[in-house]
Amino acid sequence: MNEPTDFPQNPYEPELGSFEETSEQDSDAVVKTGTTTVGVSTDDGVVIGTDRRASLGGRFVSNKNVTKVEQVHPTAALTLVGSVGGAQSFIRTLRSESNLYDSRRGEPMSIHALATLAGNFARGGPFLAINPILGGVDDEGSHVYSIDPAGGVMKDDYTVTGSGMQLAHGALEGEYDSDLSIEEAEVLTARAVQAATERDTGSGNGLVTATVTDDGVDIQEYDAATDLL
Amino acid sequence: MQGNQQQQAYDRGITIFSPDGRLYQVEYAREAVKRGSASVGIRTADGVVLAADRQTRSPLIEEESIEKIHEADEHAGIASAGHVADARQLVDFARRQSQVERLRYDEPIGIETLTKRTTDHIQQYTQTGGARPFGVALLIGGIEDGEPRLFEADPSGTPYEWQAVAIGGGREDIQDYLEEEYTPEMDLDGGVTLALEALAEGTDELDAESVDIATVDTESEQLQSLSGEEVTDYAAEADLGGEDDE
Repeated sequence: MNEPTDFPQNPYEPELGSFEETSEQDSDAVVKTGTTTVGVSTDDGVVIGTDRRASLGGRFVSNKNVTKVEQVHPTAALTLVGSVGGAQSFIRTLRSESNLYDSRRGEPMSIHALATLAGNFARGGPFLAINPILGGVDDEGSHVYSIDPAGGVMKDDYTVTGSGMQLAHGALEGEYDSDLSIEEAEVLTARAVQAATERDTGSGNGLVTATVTDDGVDIQEYDAATDLL
Repeated sequence: MQGNQQQQAYDRGITIFSPDGRLYQVEYAREAVKRGSASVGIRTADGVVLAADRQTRSPLIEEESIEKIHEADEHAGIASAGHVADARQLVDFARRQSQVERLRYDEPIGIETLTKRTTDHIQQYTQTGGARPFGVALLIGGIEDGEPRLFEADPSGTPYEWQAVAIGGGREDIQDYLEEEYTPEMDLDGGVTLALEALAEGTDELDAESVDIATVDTESEQLQSLSGEEVTDYAAEADLGGEDDE
């Protein structure tokens, strides 16, 4: 008899595709970019800002035109931080799982569910050194999460990941206010990315923002972070 | 040897259609459901009621050991009619799926999702060589996003959503009664009373003490079993099921 198979085989893995084994050697070979990615939540939505530089250990700029934030859900976006290959694969995986959930159930995942799923995948998967920010909007309001390489998922009003995180945090600290409008949050985000751009060799070459509201995700690119200030 | 066997093959093999497109093994499984004692589900404005008649073969049996309403998760209950042993397998499947949802998304599973996972599982046993379909129907009820939901799963693996429904023996009479008496505005108390009245409709003699009732209300979002005493109180108030009744 052919055994009936049940979904999902493993709650910690994506339903489509499976995690391959990774060795220590693979981890050593990972190209880690510097980066600064910022997430700020407001009552009306979430603003995510990133720089546009890909570098080899912060010593050589390998790409000056990277979009490090992508839509993964009708009202959520995720940043690419750390291993480029790992982060791109992570985004594709999360997006397809979110689509599948949505088409099966007729409603999108909550952002908390999406963050939990992302944490499970980061913990169990071959995505190596990634440290993204997840920002999204649902019935419960606006949410910003940071996801660490071991699968830790932490919610906050605002957060920063990447090599420029101390600099960007310095710009955010004391300036954040939960009453910020979306426009004010965009300016604050640009200021934080700009601060990191000035001093972190792994960050620079402009700004990309993703503004997430009930209406969806709007991604804008700027040649300089100062364009929004 | 060949001729006769081939002619009857569609009757025996679960994966084989009859010439007029029927799956006899699935239909036989529905017969097994009809042989079971009835279960009733009612969706009210403020919660879901599941009620099951556990007919006892002997006064010496411990009633508690006849399980007809099961907790799938804290916010979801399952009532069954048909083969109890088959029901237990499905209930355990539903329990595991409920926890998978929590592991995967850190959220309680939706009643619709829980039902569809379970019916997809049931369906596989109508299409897998060497398997036998489940000889049981389920009522899956609970709260999803603050709203009461009630579903039926039958041996073919088709999910149906209901306002009020009966499965098992005497289904037609019970369903007729529900269709006449059910109103969507009724509250949970009214739902419990209607469930008891409906079960009484499907049998010559309803013994209220052998009825198992559980509810999930929108306020607590928890499956709660009524005690035997509470059930008999409801029955007495509705004027049925008592020993010197009628």
